[in-house]
Amino acid sequence: MDVDMVPIMNMFLVLVPFLLMSASFLHIKAINTSVPVLGSTANKPAVNLNIKATVVLELKKATIDLSLNAEALEPEVLAGWSRVFPKNGDDPFPFQVLAEHLEQIKNAYPASDTLIIVPNGDVLYDTIIQTMDVARYRETDTKLFPNVVISGKIG
Amino acid sequence: MRSYTSRRAGRTFNPPKLNITSMMDMFTIILIFLLFSFSSKPELAGLEKNMELPQSTAKTDYQESIKLILSRSTLKMGDRILARIDHDSIVGLDPKNLKSSDLYRELSTRAKTQAEMESEQTESLSILLLCDRRLPFKTINHITKTAALAGFPNFQLAVLKR
Repeated sequence: MDVDMVPIMNMFLVLVPFLLMSASFLHIKAINTSVPVLGSTANKPAVNLNIKATVVLELKKATIDLSLNAEALEPEVLAGWSRVFPKNGDDPFPFQVLAEHLEQIKNAYPASDTLIIVPNGDVLYDTIIQTMDVARYRETDTKLFPNVVISGKIG
Repeated sequence: MRSYTSRRAGRTFNPPKLNITSMMDMFTIILIFLLFSFSSKPELAGLEKNMELPQSTAKTDYQESIKLILSRSTLKMGDRILARIDHDSIVGLDPKNLKSSDLYRELSTRAKTQAEMESEQTESLSILLLCDRRLPFKTINHITKTAALAGFPNFQLAVLKR
């Protein structure tokens, strides 16, 4: 005995165009970020005993300049963490080397979670997103600096 | 000749049987694939054809909020065009007087309305920013500054899943 497949086929023919119309082939995701604003709590002393350092990445056309800020650390210590990551000709920035350095900072000061990106005006949005990807998580989904703030250069 | 026609006339017509098993298999596969890519969110609404979003490893889903679309030619809030972009600069947005722009007026009105609705929980307000990846930061910076002035310092940067 044959099963009558015609009604099922009819149903499929209705379902397929409907699903084709509502299918989404581009998966849009989001990166949470913020811009600095004036606040009344900015000058409060740090209560936490763990040292919280803030990484500042200045994105320039040919280099990424990294510096570290922390009230609890001496200027000499902070200067020791500073690095310049130059672009190698037409190649993109050395994001792998940058990621390794950020991981070292995170290991030294595990309470740190904030990174400020200061791009120059001519830096492309795509480069900013790539830098954020490197700074937020390692490939193994370990958190590095999940709080990313984008700030325009002052002055 | 007569015998042939009489033989044909005596036969009953049997319609040919269509084997639809393989077609059913194909439809089942298509249906499953489409069910997986089904989305209730109209993600591409308002996006221009030549717009390119950056790719990222981000996994967070975006929230339904105010949507700003910045392409290489226009700045839109939802479907409404707020400003034109000419050579990477926003027409009608003076960097020295951001509060005089249409964007600021529109956003500050929204901020007031939302603050009243959510009983002063203004920290939770954020903007979904869909930006072309080829734009320079100076263009985006004016938008983010204006939004922060209007009461929206938090953003969700829309990216394509890598």
